[in-house]
Formats: sequence, structure tokens, C-alpha cells
Amino acid sequence: MIHRPIPGWLYYLLGIAGVMVVACVYAALSTRQTHINPDQSVMPGFSALGEGVVEIFKSRGNERNPRPSWISNDASATYWRLALGLASGVALSVVVGVSMGAYTAAEAFFNPLITFFAKIPPTAMLAVYMVVFGMALKMYVAMVAFGVFFTMAQAIYQSVRKDVSTDLIDKAYTLGASEIEVLYEVVWRQVLPRVIENLRLQIGPAMVFLIAAEWAFADQGFGYTLRQQSKLLNMNVVYLYLAILGLTGLGFDWALMRLRRWLCPWFGE
Amino acid sequence: MQTSDDALRIENLSHWYGDFRVLNQINLRITPGQIVALVGPSGCGKSTLLKAILGTHPANEGRILVDGNQVRTPSRNVGIVYQHYSLFDFLTAEANVAFGLKLDESSLAFRMLMIPQWLKMRAKHIERARAFLDSVKLGAACGKYPAELSGGMRQRVAIAQALILKPKLVLLDEPFGALDEATRESLQMMLLGFYQENLKAKQEGRTPEYTILIVTHELNEAIYVANRVVGLSRFHDAGEQGAMIVYDRPCPIFLPDEPKDVESFVQQREELRKAVFDPSYVKHHSKYVSFWEQLSELAASS
Ligand SMILES: Nc1ncnc2c1ncn2[C@@H]1O[C@H](COP(=O)(O)OP(=O)(O)OP(=O)(O)O)[C@@H](O)[C@H]1O
Ligand SMILES: [Mg+2]
Repeated sequence: MIHRPIPGWLYYLLGIAGVMVVACVYAALSTRQTHINPDQSVMPGFSALGEGVVEIFKSRGNERNPRPSWISNDASATYWRLALGLASGVALSVVVGVSMGAYTAAEAFFNPLITFFAKIPPTAMLAVYMVVFGMALKMYVAMVAFGVFFTMAQAIYQSVRKDVSTDLIDKAYTLGASEIEVLYEVVWRQVLPRVIENLRLQIGPAMVFLIAAEWAFADQGFGYTLRQQSKLLNMNVVYLYLAILGLTGLGFDWALMRLRRWLCPWFGE
Repeated sequence: MQTSDDALRIENLSHWYGDFRVLNQINLRITPGQIVALVGPSGCGKSTLLKAILGTHPANEGRILVDGNQVRTPSRNVGIVYQHYSLFDFLTAEANVAFGLKLDESSLAFRMLMIPQWLKMRAKHIERARAFLDSVKLGAACGKYPAELSGGMRQRVAIAQALILKPKLVLLDEPFGALDEATRESLQMMLLGFYQENLKAKQEGRTPEYTILIVTHELNEAIYVANRVVGLSRFHDAGEQGAMIVYDRPCPIFLPDEPKDVESFVQQREELRKAVFDPSYVKHHSKYVSFWEQLSELAASS
């Protein structure tokens, strides 16, 4: 049976069954909890979850001073921080990783630094980012960017060393390439799918770092609301936020996979 | 002899790794249109010589001129086809062939800033690449990536990629070493086709376009595809000094569709075995180096 394929319909059926099992178990537990204590909010029932949806999408403030709903407020803050952080982290790690892979001098310069800093838990570095960047946007961007930078720079560096053979670089020169063309037309093109694949792997850690930073310092964002609402035991809101974070990760992952297939059709699966 | 006519000129080239002398006093002249096979025992320094000509690993002593210019770094004057890693994975077959045209005829700044003009040029490049691939019977593979091609197709594309730029010299380092017999033969015929084009160019008074130096360990292949065989070996009277050119003679050339008459190779093959590959046969290194004399005799007699 090991490694034996199963029919497609069964494959999907089993996937749906898994979700159903978890939903049913949750419903049963929730019903039992409510039976024991009608006021419990740790395992809200489906109607309580529905109220949670209304709660997070409801506009705040009043007529004269309207304020955005929790979700639009938190999503815009968190996603903006995440996007800026990932973009700068990726840009930095591409520059450093590619130069380390291509130039021995850059390798000698960066390698000890990167190997060392990669070992420090990024969340612990939060203390430093807060002091250096204050509590503004910059701190969250730095948290995400440096959180993914060390791992990604190492991965890109390895990929340049491994995936780009010296023979191919020499060949590009024989076809008339300049040094900058070798970097852009050969090295970059060759490692691009690795960069995207590594970014996919870093989405999870990046969200961990960001939520942790928001949990500790922010006055808006998913991490902030999660902390506030869990303190109030409003678990219906908490679970919804967790689901949204999960979907965000999935969506990002899927979009990057499509991007990789589109930009690098040669890379295979 | 006019020196500026030479596609390749190697003068007193020596090379050593540490205190191990690999190449000793190599002298070699190749004129445009020649297809030269380089043979020699394994480890005698054939790849080392090729790397020196390519410019990636300059030799310790002596100099190399390609088309009259001294080689110091790899350049578009000398093309190369390796046994492995011969193509860019991220480009389709036609884009691989057009890659040299792109790098040679446009700059990165032009491609980024003058996009409409670049796209127009790009279309022409692709057209030329397709035409070239068509001429080597690969029209159907144009849009495929290297990973989707067989080993033989990949080497065909690699040869097209190197030749389309019309470099002064193309180096092939055991290009067919990893291929099966039948594929190998069809690629040998492809090379013979280029030789025919050279002959045609000569008849029409043009400079032949395809000058090839091919390393192979198959003696039949050497005699079949080349019009000149060069043997590199340490088995001569000064062998401890390093390998020298111990054999340099013309060999019969065939038409691509002519039946390959292996029997006629036998004599030359035995000669090569003795002169290049037999460690116990000690002779002066220039005993079998007679290509240019034989060529002028031939010219005189005809
Ligand atoms: N980078 C190097 N450092 C030290 N010795 C080397 C190096 N490269 C090659 N050699 C030695 O130089 C000699 C010639 O090597 P080379 O690769 O040129 O031989 P070759 O004729 O191409 O052999 P083959 O037919 O097996 O490909 C060999 O004895 C090899 O061990
Ligand atoms: Mg070799």
C-alpha cells in the first residue's frame, strides 16, 4: 500500500472528510461546553462565530467621527507592514546572496556575519529593533525584513554556488556577455525560482515575527487585536482572526507558486 | 604564410600545475575553415589546452593568438561546447541559440530602456535562431526547454548556439562523449555539413565560417569528422617535460551522406595508436608532425 496511488475522487473526498471531522468534533465539544456553562466563550458555537464576523466587519465610531471596522484597520496595518518587510528583506537578501555567490570577496566579508546572525532568534532581536527604530512602521518592517534576510541570503548564496556552474558563466562570456550581463541574464535568471521558493518558505516565519511584534508593541494590526480580544476571552473573534491569518498564508503561498510557474516555466514542479 | 590569416596560433605554450608539467612547448596553427580533431591519452592535457585557448585558465608560458589578437579572457571570438552543462536551463532551445545574438548585438541598457526597438530586434534574433535550428534538423524543438530535450538534441542546440555567432574558432570538448552510437553518428554528420559549407565558401572566394577544434577519444570519429588530426601526448623522447604535439597529419574528409568507409581508416588509426597512445614507442616528438608539409605537397602536385 505504501506509495500506491488512489483514485482522484477518493483523494478529494478524504480531504473534505478531514475538515468535516474537525468541524464536527469542534461542534460537539462546543455544545457540551455550552451545556455545562451557557456563558462560556472559549469554544463559541457557530452562532457566536457568526456574531464575531459581524463584530469584526462592523464600522466603528459614530456619525460625526466614523472609524473603520476592526478588520479593515488591522488588515491594512498588518499587510502593509508584511509587504514592506518582505519586499525589503527579499531585495536585500538577493543583493547580498548573489554577490556572496558570485564574488569571493563578498563571500569572505558576509559569511561570518550572516552565519552568526542567522543563529540569533529573530524575535529576540525585537528588543534591538525597538530601540533603534522606535515603535513606528520602521520597527515592524525591520523585524520582518531581518527576520527573513539571514536565512534567505544564505539560501540564495548556496543556490548561486550550486546551480550556476562556472562553465556556464564562461560560456556566457564566450557569447559576448559583460560582467553585469552575466549577473543579470545568467545568475539572476537561474536563481530566480529558488528565490521565489525560499520566499514561500519564509512567509510562515515572517508572519510569526510580525504578529509577535504587534502583540508586544502595536496599537493596531492582527497581533494587537488578537492580544486584546484574547484577554477579554472573546474567542469567537480570536478564532476568526486565526482563520484569516491562515488564509492569508495560503493565499500568499498560492500566488507565489503561480508567479514561479509563470516566470520560470522551465523549473518544473 | 600570412600570420593574420590564422584563426588560431599557439606559440611555445607551456603549462604546469604545481611542479607537475602538463603541456610543454605547444605550437599549433589553425586556419579558417579547418576542422581539427585533437586526440590523446586520458589526462594528457587536452582540456587544459582548451581552457588556455578559451582564456579561462591562461597558460604559464607562451602565447595564444585568435585572429591575430592575444587571448587573455574568454570572449566572443572563441566559442565552446562542453560535454555536460551545455545549455542555459531557463531558456528555450531557440532562446538559447539567440542568446549570443542578444548579448553580442545589444546592451543591457538598450534592452531595458529602448523596449520597442529591442522587441523588434528580438523578433529578428528568434527568426535567425529558428532558421539555424531548422538547418540542423531541430525545427520542431524550438520552443522546448533543455530539460525537455534528449542528450543528442541538447548537444545539437549547443553547437548551434556556439556557431550562430560565427566565432573565429569553436572548441568542442568531447561533445558526443555521453551519447549513444546512433545519435553520435547523426551529430558527426552535422559537423560534416558545416565542412561542406566551408568548401562552398572557399569555392566562392569567401572566408570559410566554421573553424572547429574538437577533442575526442574516439579515433574513428576523429578521422571521420575532421580534415586534420592532431595528437597530444607525453610519449616521446622528452616526455617528462610534459605533453607535446606528437602527431599532426591530414585525414580523409567525407560528405555527410557518403557511406562511412571504416576500412580506409584502419591504417591511420594504427598510426595514431602507435604515435600517440603507445607509451613504449619512443620517438622524436616531431616525427609525425607533417600537416603543413603534406598540404603544400598536395597543393604543388595538383
Ligand atoms: N586544476 C588542476 N590542478 C592540478 N592538476 C590538474 C588540474 N587540472 C588538471 N590537472 C592534471 O593535469 C593533467 C591534464 O588534465 P586534463 O584535464 O587537461 O586532461 P585531458 O587530456 O583533458 O584528460 P581527459 O581525456 O581525461 O579529459 C591531468 O594529469 C590532471 O590530473
Ligand atoms: Mg578532458
